[in-house]
Amino acid sequence: MKKLKSVWIIAGGAERIAELSAGAAAWGEETALIYAGDREKAAGAGTVYYLGPLTGVSYLSYIPAIVALVREKQPELVLVESSCDGRLTAAAIAAAVGVSALTDIDSLEADADGGGIVGRRMIYGGAAWKTERVSGPTAVVCVGAGVFPPGETAPPPGEVIELRPEAAPGTRLLEQQKKPAPNVNLPAAGRIVGVGRGLGTADNLGAVRAFAAALGAEIGCSRPVAEEERWLPKERYIGVSGVIATPEVYIACGVSGQVQHMAGIDRAGVIAAVNKDKNAPVFRQCDYGLVADLNAVLPRLTELFNRA
Amino acid sequence: MRIVICYKCVPEEQDLKIRPDRTPDWSGAARKIGQYDLNAIEAGVRLAESAGGEVLALTAGAGANDSKLQKAVLSRGPAAMYGIKTDEETLSDSLATAYLLKAGIEKIGGVDLVLCGEGSGDIYARQVGPLLGALIGWRTLNAVSALSFAGGALRAERSLENSREVLRVDLPAVAALTTDANLPRIPGMKDILAAGKKPVTIWDAAEVSAPPPRGAKTVSILAPEKQERRQIIVEGESEESIAVFYGHLRKVLR
Repeated sequence: MKKLKSVWIIAGGAERIAELSAGAAAWGEETALIYAGDREKAAGAGTVYYLGPLTGVSYLSYIPAIVALVREKQPELVLVESSCDGRLTAAAIAAAVGVSALTDIDSLEADADGGGIVGRRMIYGGAAWKTERVSGPTAVVCVGAGVFPPGETAPPPGEVIELRPEAAPGTRLLEQQKKPAPNVNLPAAGRIVGVGRGLGTADNLGAVRAFAAALGAEIGCSRPVAEEERWLPKERYIGVSGVIATPEVYIACGVSGQVQHMAGIDRAGVIAAVNKDKNAPVFRQCDYGLVADLNAVLPRLTELFNRA
Repeated sequence: MRIVICYKCVPEEQDLKIRPDRTPDWSGAARKIGQYDLNAIEAGVRLAESAGGEVLALTAGAGANDSKLQKAVLSRGPAAMYGIKTDEETLSDSLATAYLLKAGIEKIGGVDLVLCGEGSGDIYARQVGPLLGALIGWRTLNAVSALSFAGGALRAERSLENSREVLRVDLPAVAALTTDANLPRIPGMKDILAAGKKPVTIWDAAEVSAPPPRGAKTVSILAPEKQERRQIIVEGESEESIAVFYGHLRKVLR
């Protein structure tokens, strides 16, 4: 692949910077990072543009400066972290350049016919892949976690250019609260027990926790369990609009097998399912199935694993 | 305050069929208002109820002309509905959609606030709201989980991955709302009857906007290749069934 002249990344977290930086190095001769946050963490590309802190400042206030910089320097590709602020920034750049930004891209290729970048994303709640081509002076792509494996060696510390722009008028930050760090990393989990609405009530979660503990597995869930029943926090929900997980083994407990959920787990090595409805779609998408009442069989399975 | 709510008429996902060549077949599929747009409509209507103002609804693309969908949106509270007719193809791209909506908002005129759902119910690229705001050049927010109006400005809460922030934002502005923002109301019989009497204006895409310079071109839309799974299913809660299932799990969990 012929390298692009200049590929930029816009990201905040160290892990995402490492991934996108490896992607940028594979795609471009020159790389640059646009970063806001702790000054000492501003590293990860040939050139680092440091915007300023994020404590007491909304990322929003930096967006006009980012747009102005990208318009001035015209990198051929900007890889943006897939996050709320990332998508807002991507749109602001795209509107200024006159292109569409691709978002939630899970694979990225140079167009074989030359000129253009081709990305693939899930649509229709996971029922289809949409492949799109963008071309233009600057292509903007929001990249999901795990698309680029992080580089083995840290990139050399680059030159840091401090921008520290003035806040845009008309917007004032009134409150800012850090959310507690999520206590689960489902994309990295090797074994996951998934909870669906078929669990019945939150009271039955205890049996699931015991089962997961016996297996050394993390607990995930379907969207309704997190967003409607609220039995488990949102960070545990697997599906198109939630976490995309790739464990070696996934055990679906009371999960019906809707496409939105299964699209988030279909790259699991082995899928097993327990559900009392033998017509549940999950049984057509699993390797091993048990048609049974969860509450009757989970404690017995837990006991077998604990004894082994 | 004049509030415009942008929404998309999306195909009913239950009606999706996949052809043998893995292309989607939407023939005969019903359309509905995108589920995330319902939160934007509700937020706009509540804002006008509490702070005063007028709420209008605007859509572009397929479904703009569908009288059932026009009534459905109007029964949720907006005083009038505007639609921009186009063919499906033009609207597979978020930049093209944002250009059309911008043109619609300019044609409506005097708008102070535009609300969108965080993403469309079918594609969910979460770009149209932010693009629209950037194109019009207004203050733009996404991920808005609470919205109110106080002291002549918006008070918006954004729910981000690692933090929550509350901002005071001067109008005019564009905000994209998440599903946490509210619980959309179910229209009552009175609302549905009233909806039939509210004004509807339909424009042709060609009369409101020229197509944007460079959107994304769709290369393909294909269902995922079917992952072959073994589908070894045992039935029942007997010791035997559990032992067989346990045996399979034990092998793969070694």
